[in-house]
Amino acid sequence: MFYNSLFESSLKILPIFLFLLFVAPVIIVLSSLFYGFSENWFHLYNYVLSEYIINSILLIIGVSFFVVLIGVLSSWLVTYYNFAGKSFFEWALILPLAVPPYILAYTFTEIFDTYGSANILLNNIFLFEDKKVFFPNVRNIYGAIAVFSFTLYPYVYLVSRMAFINQSISIIEAGRVLGLSGVGAFFKLSIPLIRPAIFAGLALVIMETLSDFGAVEHFAIATFTTGIFRTWFGMYDLNTAMQLASLLLIFVTVFLVIERISRRKASFVSSNSLYKKYDIIKLRGYKNFFAMLFCFTPIFMGFILPITELLNWTINYKLDFFNIDFLESSFNSLLLAIIAALLCTMISFLINFSTRFQGNKFLSSLSSTLMLGYAVPGLILAIGITQLLTFLDNYIEFFKFNFILTGSLIGLIIAYIIKSYALSNSTIEASFQRVSSSLDDVSKTLNISGFKLMYKIHFPLVKTGLLTSILLVGSEVIKELPATLILRPFNFETLAVSAYNYASEERMYEAAAPSIAIVIIGLIPIIILSRMIKGSRPGEAL
Amino acid sequence: MKYFYKLFFVTLLLFIFSYQSFASEVNVYTSRHYDSDESIYEDFTNLTGIKVNIISGKGKALMERLRLEGKNSPADLFITSDAGNLWKIQKDGMFREILSEKIVKTVPDSARGPNNEWVGIAKRSRVIFYNPERVNDIEIMNITYEDLADPKWKGRLVVRSSGNIYNQSLVASLISSIGIERTEKWAKGIVKNFARKPQGNDRSQILAVANGEADIAIANTYYIGLMLSGEKGVDQKKAAEKVSMIFPGQADGGTHINISGAGILKNAPNPSNAEKFIEYLLTDKVQKHIVDNTYEYPIKSHIMPSKIIAKFGTNFKTDETYASDFGKYNSEAVRLMDRAGWR
Repeated sequence: MFYNSLFESSLKILPIFLFLLFVAPVIIVLSSLFYGFSENWFHLYNYVLSEYIINSILLIIGVSFFVVLIGVLSSWLVTYYNFAGKSFFEWALILPLAVPPYILAYTFTEIFDTYGSANILLNNIFLFEDKKVFFPNVRNIYGAIAVFSFTLYPYVYLVSRMAFINQSISIIEAGRVLGLSGVGAFFKLSIPLIRPAIFAGLALVIMETLSDFGAVEHFAIATFTTGIFRTWFGMYDLNTAMQLASLLLIFVTVFLVIERISRRKASFVSSNSLYKKYDIIKLRGYKNFFAMLFCFTPIFMGFILPITELLNWTINYKLDFFNIDFLESSFNSLLLAIIAALLCTMISFLINFSTRFQGNKFLSSLSSTLMLGYAVPGLILAIGITQLLTFLDNYIEFFKFNFILTGSLIGLIIAYIIKSYALSNSTIEASFQRVSSSLDDVSKTLNISGFKLMYKIHFPLVKTGLLTSILLVGSEVIKELPATLILRPFNFETLAVSAYNYASEERMYEAAAPSIAIVIIGLIPIIILSRMIKGSRPGEAL
Repeated sequence: MKYFYKLFFVTLLLFIFSYQSFASEVNVYTSRHYDSDESIYEDFTNLTGIKVNIISGKGKALMERLRLEGKNSPADLFITSDAGNLWKIQKDGMFREILSEKIVKTVPDSARGPNNEWVGIAKRSRVIFYNPERVNDIEIMNITYEDLADPKWKGRLVVRSSGNIYNQSLVASLISSIGIERTEKWAKGIVKNFARKPQGNDRSQILAVANGEADIAIANTYYIGLMLSGEKGVDQKKAAEKVSMIFPGQADGGTHINISGAGILKNAPNPSNAEKFIEYLLTDKVQKHIVDNTYEYPIKSHIMPSKIIAKFGTNFKTDETYASDFGKYNSEAVRLMDRAGWR
């Protein structure tokens, strides 16, 4: 059994090695706190820091409220009720996931600005002599809340829908028998039971909101990320920028710790034997209409509207859509997405397996630390990684290797893995949790362990989770902007980069082609994902 | 399954190494990303056989990348649309002297960095746009940048956010000429005069003046060129025709000028190719190409700017503040705008 013991010991080392690789860039950033504070820091503290914090908190509060409202309610509706268009909404509700916040922000300004298409359209319909402005300005914090809510709610929708589907209907029925109304059962039983899932989804949304750069920059909102950019590039002060980033990291860590603690208080066990096919209630009349309207609005705002506007740009400005540059950047984006998604999924599968297999507290706490990578703004990750690679390069040079890591794809791929580990881990962790631990015990009595256990027993059982993880990471990588902007090699444009380059000069019409491509490529995993969700009912084969 | 993994890793390695190439080439970090520039690169390759490798991005982001990459950086040439950036790179000792006589002779003294470490390739100026129906001639005559802080413009002025390099350079040049205290007072006045929260790019400031959201705007000249050319659609062209443009400071210090420029890096792997590339950018043909496509002003005086831009006047007085001061006072300018509440 030499092979097996080698496998087991490598399982022990892998997470530690990865941990070091993952934390090095973060440590580099955090180390800035020990280099002393420059006058720029005191300037930030006196004049703008409170604004960054207030804006970030307002964003979090607003976005959290709306994503939970949209995500939970819509998943509850499509799981337990039947209404017009339900089978469409079931999968269409995740479509906005394909639209990155910055692209929605670009289209929102072009639609709702004074000279935007919405105002022009209404003016043309009503034939006003003087041009009138119908829509409020979106370039402010409310606009940003709308942008993040309509693009990020699918995270909450996805997890809460999975949780609703897996929720034992017997509990709800018991509640109904004991006199709870449908709504009462929703608030008193369903919601508390899926609370951990909601929080997990919400944590992703909040981290994404805090680390966004493209959308808040476009709306000119002072947040941590724009502040980091400004300090680094406007005041030429990298160290203070990293200190600002450290503050953001601490902010996020505190939030995550609170979330963990609140989850630990309650233990949620779903007993597998209690599943039962539930009756779906048919909605009629105004209820039917409002359920439909409620599900349609987020899809319209987060997907149909931006896509229509993007198509409008391409059609009106007759762009040569399929030129070589465009195809090349699509290819680059796609390839990066595939590589990063496979690697990331493999890593989190191995880590989760070894945590479970070895029952090691240390490993599991390492794994949850790695999740923090998601919260590190891409920009900061890029700084950390470049400094790490430069250090390694000097080391390699010492050994006379003729290969330079700096500016190669390796940095980019590391950045993507660090950034999307949380996505991958949370799906895989969840699917491991659904595998009954008695299976492991049974396997052990049958003398199946190590690699065999992983390959023969766990792998098939968590396959859906793995696929979900590959898809989620892939779509995340295609959308990623700030790290790609800084780490990409020569002549290496990705779709996100070319969309940003055009949009930052407000050459929106030229940004249309790459933007549409990002959405279309992002749609592939989402469509597969939605088919999987549809097919996954407990008691049926996954 | 094992074969799959092998295949996967081989592909991965091939993919990573395939981007290291060793042909005759010049590596350019540029913050100019006009599609029209691409045909320039192609022509250069056809003419000399030297391949042009491009990384484009925001000027400051590229600068930081250069700095982080240090001596391992593959970059030969840094091209940016702000003299402050060039100054900063030079100050950090990352440029080398440009030796080519052709280049040094072509570019006038004022558009070259100290020790010929960088040279301008095009110029732009930051001017004032106004709505002639709402601003009368007397109000606007001989206006200076300082006049914009006057309370009579309260609620009438638009300008983009202070995160933008053009504003940072303008404020830096004011600090250089009138000192920090007066500039800060000026910036506070500007903030009081805002018609709306700073947003959008220069073009949206011009649009705001055209549609009556504001009476007066600060923006760069070439934006009006782009809009008038009709490239940005009929609506923008019509809007641009409603707007007038004036060069500020004509009776005073002159109009603020900034430079698109290039410098060769100290650790450049292909310095002679980089010089050839700059020489090429300064040929009459390419200069004409640049001004006709980007509506900037040429660096060579005998080339005429694009007709669209020339009609606003070509013979205006320019502010002689050294471009290097933009860089020197950049962080001071950013802090000053923070203090003034210019977001």
